Amino acid sequence: MGPSPAFDQFGTSPTPDRGGKRSNLDFRLHITPLHFFFQLRFPIQRKLKLAQVHKQRKAKRKKLFISRVLAMATNTQEQQSQAGRHQEVGHKSLLQSDALYQYILETSVYPREPEPMKELRELTAKHPWNLMTTSADEGQFLNMLLKLINAKNTMEIGVYTGYSLLATALAIPDDGKILAMDVNRENYELGLPVIQKAGVAHKIDFKEGPALPVLDQLVEDEKNHGSFDFIFVDADKDNYLNYHKRLIELVKVGGLIGYDNTLWNGSVVAPPDAPLRKYVRYYRDFVMELNKALAVDPRIEICMLPVGDGITLCRRVK
Amino acid sequence: MATNTTQEQQPAAGRHQEVGHKSLLQSDALYQYILETSVYPMEPEPMKELRELTAKHPWNLMTTSADEGQFLNMLLKLINAKNTMEIGVYTGYSLLATALALPDDGKILAMDINRENYELGLPVIRKAGVAHKIEFKEGPAMPVLDKLVEDEKNHGSYDFIFVDADKDNYLNYHKRLIELVKVGGLIGYDNTLWNGSVVAPPDAPLRKYVRYYRDFVLELNKALAVDPRIEICMLPVGDGITLCRRVK
Repeated sequence: MGPSPAFDQFGTSPTPDRGGKRSNLDFRLHITPLHFFFQLRFPIQRKLKLAQVHKQRKAKRKKLFISRVLAMATNTQEQQSQAGRHQEVGHKSLLQSDALYQYILETSVYPREPEPMKELRELTAKHPWNLMTTSADEGQFLNMLLKLINAKNTMEIGVYTGYSLLATALAIPDDGKILAMDVNRENYELGLPVIQKAGVAHKIDFKEGPALPVLDQLVEDEKNHGSFDFIFVDADKDNYLNYHKRLIELVKVGGLIGYDNTLWNGSVVAPPDAPLRKYVRYYRDFVMELNKALAVDPRIEICMLPVGDGITLCRRVK
Repeated sequence: MATNTTQEQQPAAGRHQEVGHKSLLQSDALYQYILETSVYPMEPEPMKELRELTAKHPWNLMTTSADEGQFLNMLLKLINAKNTMEIGVYTGYSLLATALALPDDGKILAMDINRENYELGLPVIRKAGVAHKIEFKEGPAMPVLDKLVEDEKNHGSYDFIFVDADKDNYLNYHKRLIELVKVGGLIGYDNTLWNGSVVAPPDAPLRKYVRYYRDFVLELNKALAVDPRIEICMLPVGDGITLCRRVK
């Protein structure tokens, strides 16, 4: 195959944003005679190489898109924040006032928050993408819920720095297990020292990468069907329904799946002309579709709780 | 008195006229969305019937809201509750939600000072085939609880206790209930966010009964937060439920 410096360069250089889709034929701008020779000489290899490059660029574009969107969301949030004391990490106020939310946090969450969770929360607050984290009240709720249902074998899709993961790990018994998946290992490793210090890291089996392939593999083996007590999904909203198709097999009858962010910052009821951030508007359709689908799924009973950004609890009944 | 004042002063909010709705959420629209997307489509027929019956009652402000009923129903199934208690029944919406969740040999000790309201809803509960699980006692709950606590046999015998009654007595109930609920069991105190008034500034215009009971609610919340025998979680469902899981 003909290696060309052009490909490497385009893989990593920060080219100006042209908006829209970039053509994967951009490599033509840096063509050398040698390059022509190799193109004509090895057409099949060229096609394979193109396909590979296209895939890499798509992945990089997606990663760039996500980080830009988050940066934009965080910046906007900073611009809009009041001078008041409410600066909670991960707060998306579904309640009638920030004051009420603050009251809940100060009366019943913070006084009870385990030290490791407090530490992880404060660590995450410094991270530029802290918008993604699970809020403290949600962490407390998950922790209690898991103890109430005596959960032992759980799964988590979407980890970030691991706040809800830690809440889970602290709730399940010492021989409990969590299969945790996230496309980004770095963020998980940011929080891992805290989880290790808390003495619960041994319960976690972390897999980096998209969840769907892992789920597909699990579903293939009948042994895994109905083997999970609790599954928490806090990831890419445009894939929730795809996850659901697999998770409904993997969770046990009587077990629980929790889908996070199902009230999507209250935007599920925003009028069509309301000013919404791009990513909020983009994912809103998926969220609303998910909500409709879950409501009519006969295999589950559901309950939408206005905790955090909205969690829909789905109890498998058949 | 409270109901009359409330209903007259409430602005006409379009189609949102939900029974028992006390909007803790950012908008009525959001609350309506939850109800229409995930509560009403799934609501069992008896519960729907009881809710509509209660809507005609002058004191319907007191009833448990539909989203709260759904949550209680799921919670009870999740914890495999069998022996429960309810203090404060009114027409029985949360009682029915509970009865539908328990197994056929499940039991509910239900107490309310007013038997008439309970008997309003009882036909619906009977029709649902779950009335046999309920033991209703008319009158104040305190004497009943005191008697239960006297007998050691009753200590730790309840899986779940739901308190939705006179707020000025919650802490008194708590002293007894903490003995009666089992370790690992759950007590739920309703209305602990008290219409959001827990954070109202001192000069805010509040209805008399809201202001009167608010102090008790604030005191309760503080006390529960530091009680070492329980782990707590305040959920903004309905008018706010504080779940207390007994740990020792």
